[in-house]
Amino acid sequence: MAIAHTLSQPLAPPPVSIRSAEGLAEIESTEAVRPVKIDIRNLSVFYGKFRAIAGINISIPAHQVTAIIGPSGCGKSTLLRAINRMTDLTPGSHAEGEILLDGENILAPGIDVVQIRQRVGMVFQRPNPFPKSIYDNVAYGPRLYGIHRRTELDEIVEHSLQRAALWDEVKDKLNQSGMALSGGQQQRLCIARALAVEPAVILMDEPASALDPIATLKIEDLMQHLKEEYTIVIVTHNMQQAARVSDYTAFLMIDDQRAGRLVEFGTTNRIFTRPEKKQTEDYVTGRFG
Amino acid sequence: MTPGVASQHHIRARRGYARRKTSNAVMLLLAGLTTALALVPLFWIIGYVILQGGKYIDPSFFTQLPRPLGIAGGGVLNAIEGTVLLVILASAFAIPPGVLAAFYVAYYPNTPLGIAIRFSTDVLSGVPSIVIGLFLYALVVKSQGHFSALAGGIALAILMLPTILRTTEEMLKLVPPALREASLALGAPEWKTSLSVVLPAAANGLITGFLLGLARASGETAPLLFTALGNDNFDFIAQVRSGLASGQNPIKILSGILSQPVDSLPLTLWKYAQQPYPERIHQAWAAALVLMVFVLSINVAARLWIVIRTLRMQG
Repeated sequence: MAIAHTLSQPLAPPPVSIRSAEGLAEIESTEAVRPVKIDIRNLSVFYGKFRAIAGINISIPAHQVTAIIGPSGCGKSTLLRAINRMTDLTPGSHAEGEILLDGENILAPGIDVVQIRQRVGMVFQRPNPFPKSIYDNVAYGPRLYGIHRRTELDEIVEHSLQRAALWDEVKDKLNQSGMALSGGQQQRLCIARALAVEPAVILMDEPASALDPIATLKIEDLMQHLKEEYTIVIVTHNMQQAARVSDYTAFLMIDDQRAGRLVEFGTTNRIFTRPEKKQTEDYVTGRFG
Repeated sequence: MTPGVASQHHIRARRGYARRKTSNAVMLLLAGLTTALALVPLFWIIGYVILQGGKYIDPSFFTQLPRPLGIAGGGVLNAIEGTVLLVILASAFAIPPGVLAAFYVAYYPNTPLGIAIRFSTDVLSGVPSIVIGLFLYALVVKSQGHFSALAGGIALAILMLPTILRTTEEMLKLVPPALREASLALGAPEWKTSLSVVLPAAANGLITGFLLGLARASGETAPLLFTALGNDNFDFIAQVRSGLASGQNPIKILSGILSQPVDSLPLTLWKYAQQPYPERIHQAWAAALVLMVFVLSINVAARLWIVIRTLRMQG
């Protein structure tokens, strides 16, 4: 993996021809290309007795966008929410297996959930700004971690809003309510709010599904910039979106016990052009789902 | 299809239309009348109280203590101050536990404790208020050996508690779960999330709930009969002033105030209205007007505050 680190990859995924020249990209070989940020090993999540996802193994590479796709109810969101332990919030849920974040198992007993959530931020399906001012929305996280000096907060707020490509639109109305912004702006505000606590990973649960096409485009553009600094995992229903924004794709499907299982994981290019499994091919070509 | 059949059909359709139109007009009229009927008591009461009470109100009514019968003048300052004091006490006792319990019930509705809280709150709201008064009489008045503002405040608090708990619970449930998740996903602990995200998001609704409870409590007579009793000489502003002037400890002044019987507007109204003396009856009407305006203005003020707050958040 140390060798992989030295490989510099262009931002956009290289054209298909180059990829195919590398030979059929196996999961193992894609792992070799990039350092792994999150290593999911044999992960199962239960809600009570019901097993929502079963035996998932994915190595999510650093500084890349990884998309999780699959038909409704296949456990995409459960998988995503397990990565910052949001699944804990559902009464009666528990997880088995390992999720290694920089090598540390976040499912291990005694792990501080607060600390995990600081390192793994989350953006939700519907924009959900707090009913507070734009400034206070972004400053909420830093204040939680004990930053109260105004100058310091000002700096974090400005920096976060800039990184979320929202600063120019709101810099003159930071004291206005975050709820007064448009849907797309609200979603970028939520991204800024997540960025303000300096996470390493950002989880996005269908971040554009409630937005119009132009706002969606902005969010997708933003993801391309953000991956320079962050590792991004996105759940999406929209396969075109997965193809546009992601570098790697994990395809999930439910088995006959209605548990979500990983069918295939690899570079987005390969999943969409040369899937190994018939189910993947059927899904990405729109034959079902 | 012959033209004859078509026109017959047309005529039948028109007749049906006329009937529908008439029945619509009749129903609309009925609905309008019943709405008016429902509003009659409200405006009748308000108008009648203003007419009856308005005649006997003058500034001294608000600034003076009651005078003995036969001596002209006098007011209900004791009752006004007492009402304010009782309502503040009741809110202080009822709002914190009510809100905290509401959080528990809203977050853990299906746990045994959650179900028990909800059930017992419903039962409590059905307990006759005079029974609450008697209970406090046995519990506080008997053990202390005297009627007191404290006992009255607790009685009103128990009365307010179900309203506060249930409205708070409903308002908390209206807060989108996504807001709570957003805060928790940033690593905020549950208490911090509740306090700084969920509570402010529900604030407008909560204030309405508090006011409903408060309005109900400030109009109650029965629970005060056995607890606050009534006190013609109660004037806590004067007591605070003289106490401070003589260099007393503020806590001692406060406990002095809380441990004496107090009056309230409904209590005064109740006492005066059953006396055979015209001047007392007049004062009862005036007290009714003051009580009504008191409750109404709390409502209006709070709603205005909500409007202003909403405007500011949008602007």
